[in-house]
Amino acid sequence: MMSTAVVDTTTGPRVAELWKSRQDKERTKWSSILLLTPALGLLVVLFLIPMGFAVYLGLTDLTLLGPTSIHWGFTGMQNLTRLKQDTEFWSSLWTTGFFIGGSIVGVVFLGYVLASLLQRATTWLRIVVGGIVVVSWMMPAVTAGMTWYASTTGNGTFATLLGTPNSNFLDAQPLLIVTLANIWSMTGFCMLVMGAALRNIPSEAIEAAMVENASTWQRFRLIVLPLMRGTIIAVVLLTALLSLANFSLIYIMTQGGPGTATNILPLYSYQQAFSFNNLAYGALIGNVMVLIATVFGVLYVRIASRS
Amino acid sequence: MKSNANAAPATMTLSDGTVVELPPENAPTQSNTVRKITGNTILAGLGLLFLVPMLWLILASIDTNATWAIEWPHFSLRNFQAVLTGSLLHSLWNSVVLAFLSTLIASVAGVFAAYSFSRRKIPFKGALLLFILFTSGVPLTIMVIPVYEIFAHYGWLSILPTAVFLSVTSLPFEVYLMKNFIDAVPEDLEEAARMEQASTLQVLWRVIIPLAMPGIAAAAIFGFVNAWGSFVVPLILISNGSQQPAPIALYTFLTLPKPEFGNIAAYSLVFCVPVFILYAASSRLFREGFVLGGGVKG
Repeated sequence: MMSTAVVDTTTGPRVAELWKSRQDKERTKWSSILLLTPALGLLVVLFLIPMGFAVYLGLTDLTLLGPTSIHWGFTGMQNLTRLKQDTEFWSSLWTTGFFIGGSIVGVVFLGYVLASLLQRATTWLRIVVGGIVVVSWMMPAVTAGMTWYASTTGNGTFATLLGTPNSNFLDAQPLLIVTLANIWSMTGFCMLVMGAALRNIPSEAIEAAMVENASTWQRFRLIVLPLMRGTIIAVVLLTALLSLANFSLIYIMTQGGPGTATNILPLYSYQQAFSFNNLAYGALIGNVMVLIATVFGVLYVRIASRS
Repeated sequence: MKSNANAAPATMTLSDGTVVELPPENAPTQSNTVRKITGNTILAGLGLLFLVPMLWLILASIDTNATWAIEWPHFSLRNFQAVLTGSLLHSLWNSVVLAFLSTLIASVAGVFAAYSFSRRKIPFKGALLLFILFTSGVPLTIMVIPVYEIFAHYGWLSILPTAVFLSVTSLPFEVYLMKNFIDAVPEDLEEAARMEQASTLQVLWRVIIPLAMPGIAAAAIFGFVNAWGSFVVPLILISNGSQQPAPIALYTFLTLPKPEFGNIAAYSLVFCVPVFILYAASSRLFREGFVLGGGVKG
């Protein structure tokens, strides 16, 4: 800045004029801040403050009921030690990992296959199948959980259709079934996003590859995949974040059971806080989820701001 | 698909004698038809698989003596009549209040913030935008335990504070969506309004909001659907049973000693209707696209 000022001394008045206009542009108006206040105020009061409070709560002995629901205090590392030795927490972490991993694989695979098949499909089939998948995505989680429970329990739709009415898939493979239900309820979103991305791939690129006699797999790997990289990464991260926070679907279907078979972190946190009375420990498990979400969130922001 | 490459490729001889292979897509070969049929068959199969879990919901809702099992229904609309009365209807009304309020709060706060981010110079704008993008990524329902403790302390465990919290869970994404749409509104239009001494609120109301309407509507619909379907937030944050929205009423159904399965299915379907209508409306909004070009020319 200094050096330019020195060089420009010959055209003094012009510089002063420029400087003045620049000052005009850079001035922050009070109304700009005022316009931001409601949104930022809400985020500070109901996101930043609770987040900070949760970090503290996780290190206290707060309970839902009883004397320590009123007279509670800081207990240091006690809860953290407990968390480290809590086998149920670690198994819940693994269950969450399977749930998220399985959901990502299923959602991205089915979303891509559906999107690419829909592009070449007969019109009526495209409308019907696209409609069904979108409806399964739009369906509120409570309803989806309800109908998936009915479909996979003993005498349910799948058992009846497969000719073994007595088999109870939900009891036999609970984690797999709730993961499938989650995939079912999230594929529609992925399908729409992938469809939009596929339509943006220039047809010349595909045609050029066709002239070169590239196989379907080669066309996918060398043209479609690189062009859709950003979209795929965004869908993967969003699926991960939404699956991590998924409470309703599993709560309706299994309540985390049988035993702890489907007890993913949001359910375990809820269970500790509101069934076992340990609000502080529940908050600590919530903090672990925020930490995981932060890792995903940072990745998401880095990728979203790159494009 | 492999046969495509192995089959003798169609060729064409040009006037100068060179032989060029025609791209397989242009050649009306049998494998193309086969491919199309295969694709359509796989698609139909996937569609059926996605349909199967919905069958119970549809059949049980019109069945007078439905169970968890899948059966051909004894057709009647009695289930729908039964669920559209009394406390169940009241729960649906609670859902309307909850979703409407939280949408209103998030959309109004969101459009002001989006406009400011889009057009004004703000200190630490990049950092603030990054913070909002980050909060739109982290599912805020995770914050429900500390929020419960705060609400319980101030005696706020009721429907209005819950609506405010729900608005915050969709606010960051709404701000982002609306900012993108406001960015696309040409600045000329705003400057013209400024020439005629319009205030900021007038510019927003007369110029920005009408022209960015598709984006604002899409954001509002996102907020509404988000609040409408939420289950864990009202479950924990609303302590008064008569203020509980429909998802909680639906869950309570299941905990009864003798659940009325037909009613559960019918109520579930009724609960879905607004979401489907809003989705249909929003996809049309997007198809109509912007009318901004016309705005500048006129």
